[in-house]
Amino acid sequence: MLQIDSLRKTYGDVIALDGCSFTVGRGQLVGFLGPNGSGKTTTMRSVFSLVQPDSGEVRWDGMPISPAARLGFGYMPEQRGLYPRMKVAAQLVYFGRLHGLGKSEATRATLSWLERLGLGDRADSRLEELSHGNQQRIQLAAALIHEPELLILDEPFSGLDPIGVEAMIEILLERAAGGAAVVFSSHQLDLVEDLCEDVVIIAAGKVVLAGPVRELRSRSHHRYLDIEIAQPSTDLRRAFVDRDIVTVDNGRIRLRLDDGTPLEPLVRTAAGLGRVQQFSFTPPNLSEVFREVVEP
Amino acid sequence: MSGWSAIKLVAARDFKERIASRAFQLSTGLTVLLVVGFILVPTFIDTDGTQQWTIGVVGDVPAGLAETVEAGAGDMATVATSQFGSRAVAEAALEDGAVDIVVDAEGSIIVNAESSDQLTTLVAAVLASLDVAEQAAELGIDAAALTDLFSGTYDVESLSVEPDSTDSDRAFAFFATIILFMSIITYGSWILIGVIEEKTNRVVEVVLGTVRPHQLLTGKVLGIGILGVAQIVLIGVVAIVVLSLQDALDVPDAAGKVLVWAFIWYVLGFAFYAVAYAAAGSLVSRQEEAQNAAFPLTLMLMAAYFVASFSITGDNPVLRIASLLPMFAPMTMPLRIAGGDALAWEVAVSLILMVVVTYGLVRFAGRVYAGGLLQSGSRVKWREAFRASEA
Repeated sequence: MLQIDSLRKTYGDVIALDGCSFTVGRGQLVGFLGPNGSGKTTTMRSVFSLVQPDSGEVRWDGMPISPAARLGFGYMPEQRGLYPRMKVAAQLVYFGRLHGLGKSEATRATLSWLERLGLGDRADSRLEELSHGNQQRIQLAAALIHEPELLILDEPFSGLDPIGVEAMIEILLERAAGGAAVVFSSHQLDLVEDLCEDVVIIAAGKVVLAGPVRELRSRSHHRYLDIEIAQPSTDLRRAFVDRDIVTVDNGRIRLRLDDGTPLEPLVRTAAGLGRVQQFSFTPPNLSEVFREVVEP
Repeated sequence: MSGWSAIKLVAARDFKERIASRAFQLSTGLTVLLVVGFILVPTFIDTDGTQQWTIGVVGDVPAGLAETVEAGAGDMATVATSQFGSRAVAEAALEDGAVDIVVDAEGSIIVNAESSDQLTTLVAAVLASLDVAEQAAELGIDAAALTDLFSGTYDVESLSVEPDSTDSDRAFAFFATIILFMSIITYGSWILIGVIEEKTNRVVEVVLGTVRPHQLLTGKVLGIGILGVAQIVLIGVVAIVVLSLQDALDVPDAAGKVLVWAFIWYVLGFAFYAVAYAAAGSLVSRQEEAQNAAFPLTLMLMAAYFVASFSITGDNPVLRIASLLPMFAPMTMPLRIAGGDALAWEVAVSLILMVVVTYGLVRFAGRVYAGGLLQSGSRVKWREAFRASEA
């Protein structure tokens, strides 16, 4: 289990991390969310000692992370990068060996990854000769070549086409199912909501919300009401002017209500406007939860 | 995986990637060709050893002119004469290059810009002496008396009977200094560029996820350093083989001792500067800034080289001080050792300082490297980079 415990880090006057804490268990796939500059990359880098926190600790299975333990981790930084002029296979073997694989083991793993990515015939090409999408695949393979027990990916979906996104999802799910602890950051909240059972939301260097997505949604103090009315008799915006309107579009309106708001008056108002086609009362989706906590 | 195996992996990658590169193979091949060329070309030019001089003659010049000039020229040349009917024709031949000099019996020696000074001096002297002999004969002085008359009473005696062997040792040590200087300039800039490349490629963050910055730094310096030594050894072996095929190899007396010291200082000097270049490279993000970052180092290196080159003739106070300071010692101490000028304690102090400072530099550069590598954008200051990291 990965434990991020009370990390603090300042750069001059800028507070990057302000007591950031959360955990990721084996087999868990956790989405790590937060606005730009909230400290996601700094947190991820501190797992690999690329950043030395001013205080706090990162632990793996209860122990401070040793260089030996770190070899069993996989990391895909936000700024992608490999050696452009190095041959693809040689490159993967190199990263496998840096992670402690023996020569033959690393070679075997390289061949099987290239096969899986459909790049078996490009083993001897230089990386720079590959298309952008294929370079991204090699980058992922470089992070996975040694079958890490902890996988940390910074914005793995950015810059991927829909097919690339599908492939990435498949691989992340597979790693988590295989028992690895997987953490990734992303701004694509809809995708995270579909993919992860658990998320951690960070703002200004502090974890503001963490837990199973379903729980976080229902724990919200807000509910959302979607009403659809065929040919409303008055403008919907005017009819609900005293309510917190999220969106309005022709006969559809989305309202934000405090949890426990009585629904009857709303039902009556809606019925008075015309034929009600939809009247649904739901907890916020992940992006709404996100916005509620990061911009209170 | 131990720290050492990580260093070995990094070193092996840098070594292999560079040795496989077309640019490296071409530059090595070219350097070998150049070295062989430098050794062989002078011999091709001198293959005859002697030149052919032709003296254009107008009118009746003293008999034996050509023979006497040739005797005077020794191994330098063979001499022939060519008779011309008039001075004008002879001068035209001189302009055409058919003859090298013209002697007119009327009493002039005619030369042009192409004429060899040695030939001119020789011809003038021979004509004068033939003239003296002729007039002496007319006065009734025989040849033997004439020889007596002209034979000198003074002999030249040299005080340095044996050439000073420390001179050739010093020259050898200075040669080693030149090689160190060139190595640092060449391979130091490879290290500099290699570090910046890893930074601009962003690959460094992936690598540093598994390898400590000081391991990456050490591996890089070792990989490129070993490649550099291999290249120099290859060139050296080719040079020695070619030279010994020509029997032109002149090994100084104390070469063994000087060679060992030169090697020790080469390794220390290279390590010192290579580590410093790597740290400098970690501070910038673009190749355009590479030379700026390395400027203080290059300046230091040039200063050391100049102190050494001004001191090739002998010991002096500047050289003495420089040979104790780590950034100068690798280029200056071998000279003093070769010249027999270095006192034992000076060598010891200089060596200890060098090792201690290089070790300190590895630690310091490791931190600067760690702090500088992950900061992109503007140039990072040494102090900021040092503070940014504790690794």
